[in-house]
Amino acid sequence: MLAYALRRIAQAVPILFLVSLISFGIMQLVPGDPAAMLAGPNATPAELAQLRQNLGLDRSFLVQLGIFYGNLLHGDLGHSLILGQPVLETVIERSPISISLAIYSLVLTILFGISIGMVAAMRHNRILDQIAMVIALIGVSVPNFWLGLVMIVLFSVQLGWLPTGGYVPFTEDPLGWLRAATMPAVAMALMQIGLLARLTRSTMLEILGQDYIRTARAKGLRETTIIVRHAMSNVLMPIVTVIGMILSVLLSGSVIVETIFAVPGIGALLGNAILARDYPMIQGGLLFVASALLLLNIAVDLIYAWLDPRVRLQ
Amino acid sequence: MKMARIKARLLACTAVAAGLLSWGVAAAQAEICGRKGGDLVFGMEAKLSTLDQHVNAANATRNVAMNIFETLMTRDENMAPVLDLADSLDISQDGKTYTFKLRPGVKFHNGKPLTSADVAGSFARYKRIGIDRSALDAIDRWETPDDATFRIILKEPRATFLESISASTVPIVIVPADQSNAEPTQLKPIGTGPFELVEFVADSHVKVKRFDGYVPNKSLKGISGFAGQKEACLDTVTFRTLAEPGARTAALETGEVQIVEDVPTLSRERLSKNKDIKVVQLDYAGLNLTYPNFSQAPTDNLKVRQAILASLNMEDIMDAASDGAFSLNPSFQFPGQTYYSEAGSQLYNQNNPEKAKALLKEAGYKGEKVVLLTTRDIPRAYTTALVMSEQMKAAGINAELLVLDWPTALGMSVNDTKGWNFFFTTWITVTAQGGAQSLRNLADPSNVHKPVGNKSDEDFMEQFRILSSSPDLEKRKEAFAKAQARVFDQVMAIPFGAIPKIQATRANVEGYIPFFNTRVSNVWLKQ
Repeated sequence: MLAYALRRIAQAVPILFLVSLISFGIMQLVPGDPAAMLAGPNATPAELAQLRQNLGLDRSFLVQLGIFYGNLLHGDLGHSLILGQPVLETVIERSPISISLAIYSLVLTILFGISIGMVAAMRHNRILDQIAMVIALIGVSVPNFWLGLVMIVLFSVQLGWLPTGGYVPFTEDPLGWLRAATMPAVAMALMQIGLLARLTRSTMLEILGQDYIRTARAKGLRETTIIVRHAMSNVLMPIVTVIGMILSVLLSGSVIVETIFAVPGIGALLGNAILARDYPMIQGGLLFVASALLLLNIAVDLIYAWLDPRVRLQ
Repeated sequence: MKMARIKARLLACTAVAAGLLSWGVAAAQAEICGRKGGDLVFGMEAKLSTLDQHVNAANATRNVAMNIFETLMTRDENMAPVLDLADSLDISQDGKTYTFKLRPGVKFHNGKPLTSADVAGSFARYKRIGIDRSALDAIDRWETPDDATFRIILKEPRATFLESISASTVPIVIVPADQSNAEPTQLKPIGTGPFELVEFVADSHVKVKRFDGYVPNKSLKGISGFAGQKEACLDTVTFRTLAEPGARTAALETGEVQIVEDVPTLSRERLSKNKDIKVVQLDYAGLNLTYPNFSQAPTDNLKVRQAILASLNMEDIMDAASDGAFSLNPSFQFPGQTYYSEAGSQLYNQNNPEKAKALLKEAGYKGEKVVLLTTRDIPRAYTTALVMSEQMKAAGINAELLVLDWPTALGMSVNDTKGWNFFFTTWITVTAQGGAQSLRNLADPSNVHKPVGNKSDEDFMEQFRILSSSPDLEKRKEAFAKAQARVFDQVMAIPFGAIPKIQATRANVEGYIPFFNTRVSNVWLKQ
């Protein structure tokens, strides 16, 4: 197991190098100019040239690349051109916000996604199945920005139950965090709930149709025992893989949801950096997010290997 | 040397000298603080990335920073230059030496007293990295004869010098001298203003609290522009970024925020009916306009540009661009401003496709593409371009939209002379800064319209030089009118109309006066 884990970590190194190179190269190729964004449309050519020099943007591609990797080897992801703060520090500051929202969304996703999928499979072709699948369809179809605004009107303006936005750290005020994070978490989770419900239903139906389940039924086992003891372990395999992917999506943050609910997470940070052409923030931020996602994938693979020893042998 | 002394309270005289009097409504507040205490939350439309006011031209930065920092000179409610951290100003008779005496007793938020060394350090930093540092080009040197005196010596007399150093687009805020070497965006937000920084989370919120050591300028009763008698009535103010308009107005309706900016026009009526909410409006806040690219065919052809101008119906364009909240404005100044003139306005809002067709024929136009560079990131810019393109098509012009994200469109308009024919923007504070400041964008070396060889029209430049340097206000006004007429005639820029700034507050908010930027001094909450 340890050798497997080390092998997976070693495989991540070249991937991270590629991510850093691609993110650096793409940002240099993308049109747009951070100096123009800072100075506005009415700046004189001389003022823009001076600003570019101040920001170090007048240096050649290779010099900038060299500086980037030189700093990276010292654990320095550079300074944001717009915020003026160290990129690593900023990303680390924002991470707990996105992580806590992602975990909240994931809990909702697992809870509702698996439950709805299971109910649908167990009541296949009955009214409950139809209702569950309509819910799943709504989940994958409704745009999260629309859902976000509808929830604000309903739960904040009309009912006054939840704040319209903002973020309260969990460590400062757990109840405040729960109130502030609920609508963004639901907006982020709804699509994932739909996807997971459909996957759970189809996997469960496939498993329930297999011979060993039929044998279990023929032996007279109760349906609950069959589901929990015999079907669930096999249903979990693909679900664990998908949950890993869902968590990757949730952890990357959602620019739209974070903007609507004024949550200063990673998604909003990177979205704003892209809009302002804040090269160091984009490069450093992407590298940080890519590292986090790679670690997450490794963790998922390890869980997978733990659940199914055949994976280790392969 | 014989001097002319200007005291802060002689605002009107200063304004006349600068040619900026009589616009807007002066805010002579009857009551500075009806009640002290309380926490206010302000919902901002844009994300705030930095509080380094020297290197950022964004509205969001000014909204917060101008409550923390102050300037030697600033603009009053009528956008006239006025003393702020300076107590008096003496101008030598040759018009080259400006001697400022600092207001006594002023302290920074770190407790250190304000001295002329701080002013000199701030000017030095601005001259090194300030975005609008061309405002200091006229200066030969500055001196600090004593702690309370800051003296500027110009290379040659310039009548609009005070207009330049008091401009509020990228204000020359005064910071402690030890910050003069701070690199861009690295400035510590330590000012002399009525509020001091508590917490700044970029893109999220900024929290400020009352600065107990603040020494108000009592030469005026009440706030006026960024100057006057400012007092922090509130304990704290939190500026929260609420970029989504629906979420922003919802937060006001629930009472989570007490003031919001940029209320969508379509929400105004609904909010007006809410007894818990007051809608406030600054009628002339920005000028919606476009400028052509003189270096790209076919807009390098004067007759083609004139044909395009002739084809436009400004009323329809503005109606679509602003959801009906606009004023037609055939000028690069707003009504009531000293330099306001309608010279050249016979070419504004012509709505004459037949004339356009005749001009196109004269120009030898063969259906070349006219590219309208715009962005959906700013809905007003997109809608303006969309309606304009349809009006151009009706006149037989092959108009085509090029819709890019804002950074790409802006970068293209700033750096490229090819690939586009018109660029769409809004001058939010530029117009309010006065005649010379507003036309400066079309003059050397700014030249946003990309004239060949980066040299603007000589007839325009002749008038612009008079506008910038003549000591005689009437001559400057005349020069502005002639320069503006030339802009219309040569189609160097096309103003579509003025847009208002619509804001809203909770009913218990008192003392809030809408301005180009947010002022939370002298604002209090009724119990």
